[in-house]
Amino acid sequence: MTAAAGVGVRPQKPGRSAVAPIAIVAAIGLTVLSLSKELGIGLDLGELIEDIGRGREIIAELLSPNWGYLPSTVGPMIETFQMAVLAAVIGCGVALPVSFLASRPTTTGTIGYLASRSVLSVVRAIPDILYALIFVAAVGVGPLPGILALVLFNVGVVAKLLSETVDGIDAGPIEAANAAGGTKLQTVRSAVMPQILPNYVAYSLYTFELNIRASTVLGIVGAGGIGRTLLAQYKLFEWGNVSVVIVELFVFVLLIELVSIWLRRRLV
Amino acid sequence: MAPMIRFENASVTYPGGVRALRDVTLEIEAGQMIVIVGLSGAGKSTLIRATNGLVPITGGDVIVDGQSIRKATPRQLRQLRSRIGMIFQTFNLVNRTSVLNNVLLGRLHATSTIRSLLGWYKPEDVEIAMQALERVEIVEKAYVRASNLSGGQQQRVGIARALAQQPKIILADEPVASLDPPTSHVVMRDLQRINRDLGITTIVNLHFLDLAKVYGQRIIGMRDGNLVFDGAGDAVTETVFRDIYGRSLTADDMLEASVR
Amino acid sequence: MTAATAARSASRPVPPSRLRRHLALLGLLVVIAWAALGIDVDLEKLVRLPGGVLLIVHRMFVDPGLDFTYLETALIGMLQSIEIAWVGTVIAAILSLPIGFVAAKNVSSGPISNAIRVLLDAIRAFPELVLAVAIFIPIAGLGPVAGALAIGIHSIGTLGKLTAEVIEGIDAGPVEAARSVGGSTLQVHRWAVLPQVLPEIVAFWLYRFEINIRGAAVLGVVGAGGIGFLLQQTVVYGRFGKAGMALVVVIVATILVDTVSGWVRRRIIEGGGTRRAIEAELEQPELVEGI
Repeated sequence: MTAAAGVGVRPQKPGRSAVAPIAIVAAIGLTVLSLSKELGIGLDLGELIEDIGRGREIIAELLSPNWGYLPSTVGPMIETFQMAVLAAVIGCGVALPVSFLASRPTTTGTIGYLASRSVLSVVRAIPDILYALIFVAAVGVGPLPGILALVLFNVGVVAKLLSETVDGIDAGPIEAANAAGGTKLQTVRSAVMPQILPNYVAYSLYTFELNIRASTVLGIVGAGGIGRTLLAQYKLFEWGNVSVVIVELFVFVLLIELVSIWLRRRLV
Repeated sequence: MAPMIRFENASVTYPGGVRALRDVTLEIEAGQMIVIVGLSGAGKSTLIRATNGLVPITGGDVIVDGQSIRKATPRQLRQLRSRIGMIFQTFNLVNRTSVLNNVLLGRLHATSTIRSLLGWYKPEDVEIAMQALERVEIVEKAYVRASNLSGGQQQRVGIARALAQQPKIILADEPVASLDPPTSHVVMRDLQRINRDLGITTIVNLHFLDLAKVYGQRIIGMRDGNLVFDGAGDAVTETVFRDIYGRSLTADDMLEASVR
Repeated sequence: MTAATAARSASRPVPPSRLRRHLALLGLLVVIAWAALGIDVDLEKLVRLPGGVLLIVHRMFVDPGLDFTYLETALIGMLQSIEIAWVGTVIAAILSLPIGFVAAKNVSSGPISNAIRVLLDAIRAFPELVLAVAIFIPIAGLGPVAGALAIGIHSIGTLGKLTAEVIEGIDAGPVEAARSVGGSTLQVHRWAVLPQVLPEIVAFWLYRFEINIRGAAVLGVVGAGGIGFLLQQTVVYGRFGKAGMALVVVIVATILVDTVSGWVRRRIIEGGGTRRAIEAELEQPELVEGI
């Protein structure tokens, strides 16, 4: 190692920040805890592999769908679609003013800003199925509780995304509209709206897609749509019929997604 | 006759503690074209924004067209602003919408809330906007998206927006700082023509001294929030310059020289 | 208006036609009207709803009010939901990382990448609930394991796609450098690609975890355990004091986890990646640039 003498003092290996190792240890610890039988969910890979055989019969039945059942799913499917449309329209309509209130450049004042932000985080923290459960308990089963649950869900998603978009817009036009003597409302309409419109349209279509998927879930607690059919057949162990609903949903979701991508490309 | 704009010992201290305007007293007569020069940070922008209340003054007062900025209610301030057009360094256009819609921002004060929410401007307001675009010779772009214009064209849309307000005063904050030299002259000549033809009192912030001497009837020099010079363009000598800039004239201070 | 008309110069442009926009709006209105008129919502229920909801809220928080004896049960249920979400996210993270590499066009080959992309889209189209009901409850039986597996498999769809997109967006320079010094494919991935993409991918994992907590609550309703099951049981049997307690636990725990996770995400990458994650799902790259 005679060559090393010529290069002078080599630097010591720098001490690494403690944050990353702590985070990794915490993540591994949490995983171990979650997997354990006593404190966690008790996931055991060995057992699982043994169990795989158990599902064979059901999965075999699922693979032979009973297509004769298809006509009876058309009505619930249409209902799902209608629920998704109405909820998206109402939810996105409500979300627009809320997101202006919940954004720094457009808010009316500190009180309005903080109030709308905290209401939004509570609305977002409650899972959609819980809204559906409560609304079903209040007025009974049917599409109405489902629509309302989706509306709240949509307001949470769109208002959050849109308020982040408004926070990020160019403030120049707002200053220009203020300097021209515009009122707050006029400024929002003419200097802010054109900037966020493409995002708003994209987010609205996105929540519509989410609604189609979510309405499967909501139907399970009696909130209308195809989910109700799915659960009924599941409880009857009619796997051939369950299979038809699943395939139908799969095709429907993919179709909606394709149309929505096409629409976004054209509109935005 | 009372002056159009009067600063009475006006001061502005920003929340961070920076004193951007110190005890400024200044009178500007109706119809004048004033150019303000100074280093960046000297308080030029603050002076302009104190005139229409975009920056609140913290001491003294500014009287514009008979209205005290300090005593104005939000409504009175809006009404005053509708009589003052403003032009910005970065144009501040709404990029995603048409040139015409941008110019119509200048008609907001004359449009009811309902109409402006629906975007249904009155035909006479559209006519005013179109005439403003004709005055800056860019009417053929009325239905083009603002983002598809060049910098010089965008600034002319900015001027048209200010004109559409049918203002008594135009404030221009570094209107040519983002433009190349030939375009700078086009925009400055537009402002000069508007000042002469329509008699609109015009205040322009400029960084370049040669432009200031060509276009300013009266030049105001600022340094550290203080007024350090107030006089005709010809009176700006090397000594005056050193007072304003704190150093000798260099090529960077001249538009024509800096590009060579 | 003759004077104004005369003043118009010849160079004024003709306003562009708005026919297409009006037709699109009309189409939208027709769809909305069809949905509103076609759906079986009776107005009597709509009128009854505010009162009904207020009554439930009243029972939850005022009379009889929150049942604090249920707090422990609710906390255990919430913990289980969080564990389901965590295990599901870990499964998805481990599996989606290699899948993401294979699905990225710049480190994999075109046909393979496309095939994997289609597969990922297909996985995404199956809601967790369907996976749970149709595959994992039959295999693993009712309980949290089925829930975690359903969430894990479903999340691979989004995470794999996002990972691939992040990898496709990397700076090609280091990859070229690693290749030029004679690195093997695996070495190139480990030392030239992974360091560039890992922070953003970890942020997506955390974001997915936040979403999965909500998903885990839903799965409880079909028998996958956790807080969802408790919520359903208490509401269906009219135990609103207990339901209110569970509701409070859900809200507080969710906001807490969101806050911590969001803080970590923002420490890892600027902005935390929420918007990027959603816009990737939207297949709207031009929107990301516009922001």
